[in-house]
Amino acid sequence: MKHKILALLMVLALALTACGGRTEQAGDEGVIVLRMWVHTNNAFIAGYEAAIAAYEAEHPNVDIQLENFDYELYLQTLQTAMPAGEEADILQLFGTWTSQYYERLAPVPPEVMTVEEAQQTFYAAPIGGFIVNGVLYGMPQEFNMEYGGVLVNKSLYEAAGLTYPPQWQTMDDVLADARALVQTDASGMMTVAGFHFTSADPTAFSFLAGIKQRGGDYWNADRTGFTFNTPEARAQLQWMVDAVNAGVVDPVVFNDETNFVIDAFFQGKVGIGYIGSWAIAEGQANFPDFADEWDYCYLPPFQGDPVFVADSGWGLTVSPNSPHQDIAWDFVKFVTTNPQIATQWNIASGTIPAMPVVAESPEIAAAMPWVPKALEILPYGQYLGNMPDRDLVVYEIIYPHILNTLQGVETVDQALQAIDTEANSTFR
Amino acid sequence: MKQTLDRSRRRHSGLVISKRRFVASVTVPLLLYEALGIFVLAWAFVLMFFDYSPGRLGGPILGLGGSNPFVGLGNFIEMFSGDSVQAGLFRASLRNTLIFAVAVLPLNLAITLPLAWLLESIGNRFKALYRTIYFLPVLTSSVGVALIWMSMYDPQAGWINAIIRAFGGTPVAWLSDPRAGFAGVSVAMWAVIIAYLWQDYGYNMVIFIAALQGVPQELREAALIDGANSWQAFTRITLPLIRPTMLFVCVMTMLSSFQVFDIIQVMTNGGPNNQTQVLMLDIYKSAFRYQNMGWAAAESFVLFLIVMGVTLFQMRVLRTDWEY
Repeated sequence: MKHKILALLMVLALALTACGGRTEQAGDEGVIVLRMWVHTNNAFIAGYEAAIAAYEAEHPNVDIQLENFDYELYLQTLQTAMPAGEEADILQLFGTWTSQYYERLAPVPPEVMTVEEAQQTFYAAPIGGFIVNGVLYGMPQEFNMEYGGVLVNKSLYEAAGLTYPPQWQTMDDVLADARALVQTDASGMMTVAGFHFTSADPTAFSFLAGIKQRGGDYWNADRTGFTFNTPEARAQLQWMVDAVNAGVVDPVVFNDETNFVIDAFFQGKVGIGYIGSWAIAEGQANFPDFADEWDYCYLPPFQGDPVFVADSGWGLTVSPNSPHQDIAWDFVKFVTTNPQIATQWNIASGTIPAMPVVAESPEIAAAMPWVPKALEILPYGQYLGNMPDRDLVVYEIIYPHILNTLQGVETVDQALQAIDTEANSTFR
Repeated sequence: MKQTLDRSRRRHSGLVISKRRFVASVTVPLLLYEALGIFVLAWAFVLMFFDYSPGRLGGPILGLGGSNPFVGLGNFIEMFSGDSVQAGLFRASLRNTLIFAVAVLPLNLAITLPLAWLLESIGNRFKALYRTIYFLPVLTSSVGVALIWMSMYDPQAGWINAIIRAFGGTPVAWLSDPRAGFAGVSVAMWAVIIAYLWQDYGYNMVIFIAALQGVPQELREAALIDGANSWQAFTRITLPLIRPTMLFVCVMTMLSSFQVFDIIQVMTNGGPNNQTQVLMLDIYKSAFRYQNMGWAAAESFVLFLIVMGVTLFQMRVLRTDWEY
């Protein structure tokens, strides 16, 4: 009988251990331990480690433990941990995802920051994603700008006899340079793309920006549906088709899966490579031996003002299951709104600041000379909008159909009709 | 006498207790493990009737209901008749999976069986060496295999296009040209099929070698004495006798073909134009990239039904009622 009771107790103990909920995490006596989850990006992590060290120096009773996961694993971990209430206290989240996760996030307490204060503190695009139904759920750290920025290979420019730095007034000037930069082998296969704009994000975001700049919109009036089959969308897609027909890029050989723009640019296969500025740090880290001289520049608008749309980039949120939400929010505010900390984080991660006051600082200009060039167009940035599933719309609908059109598999009309139908089907 | 009987009873009773302890210590963990497995299956079964996303809070019971609403058979109806992007991707994935499996099985058999026969006919000195060489790709990680083949298929620097150029041909973007095709199947699909076959053929070859070694030599010799040539002896004697092995190989190859994932994810990620998007990849993307767990569970159930149906069909067609 004694053995049976003992066995039963052991099984119960095992079961309780396995099914146990969040445990109060305490290290040394009096020290409050907070866990923080981020995706693996060495440049980002270096920035977080410095920010944590600064916070812990000011708050010796707080110990913030940083845990990182590969991007795909991070998504899976969030999706399994959140329903179980086992997520970390502080969560790094891509702002645009907030509309999918907000039910499992803690709202920002008004005493920490109100929606109005957030809108005054940050650029419109980065903060937009963290506001769902008028409630603020986090604070952004970067302006995730996929529109307009390009890597330019100075060595290829000079080899082609072009003026450097480029003096683009219109997109026609860009195409003229790109045509001169193209190289092909004896069999006719393109070996150097003049203007590689056919990766997923550049294609999708230049398409959306083109619609806006031509006076159109891809949202209906009350933002309950998409309007992609419009004259403005047709004009923008036709511009992209014409650029391909002009021979600036072969979208079969240069796209998101083959010769992705960062890899291709830092192997000398691209003259002008369309990609967000986050690619700079990644390219430098992954291709340290790349010998060509290069720079990061901004494109002129397709038409009118350089209006564009952007995701809310990476930012920080807090779990509603955290027993120390007040401290977690204090840390989040410290990291995202303290100009000194935000500056060091943006420099370390190579990202455009989410706050105008930081973006305009001389420290940023000195460390990231491409940011001052962006200052003229950053105020034109609008938030992408809370789509039912942003990744599905961008990566499985907009980009594939545009790429099909550029590769000659679909016509412009077929692509726009398909994008419109499929994107609207995501509202269920 | 009584003392001896008592001692015997005590010993017997101690043995029974020991046996019971052993049975309990083995079966309890097994039952717990089984219960966990059954719970996962049951959870997936329940999810397919819901529009469930782990990002949404949902109802009070396991997050079901509320913002994760019950949709009944809605997911299945949408899959086969809907016009949503997920439905389109599912149908494309189903078609591609069938193409992949139907192409891989006969090609695999056409390579592995003759190769096994050839290996069996060479001297023992080289047999082990060749067997090891042919089996090596099986031991290589799928990601490694995918990367090797990607470098060979590279449109600009790959050696396949280098050979084509050397003969004055037009190079092909093997993994990214949606316009190129052969026999109604995209070139990208053929490219991943070839890479998959290369990695997988050693496994079946070893199984066939074992089967061929088990065929009684005297039966073949008797056929040869009776006037049969080598081909007739192979088709009339050897082949029927290794039919149970054929069944095993067909079922296992079909199962693994329906579950192909890693090599395709690395080589094409489903592209170009979804021409290599297979069901496992679509399920993975639906569940973990787009957080559509209910939809992914429904897709998994369809895959399960297909695999079960194909397996039962193969077992019925290829089964034997005899042994030798």
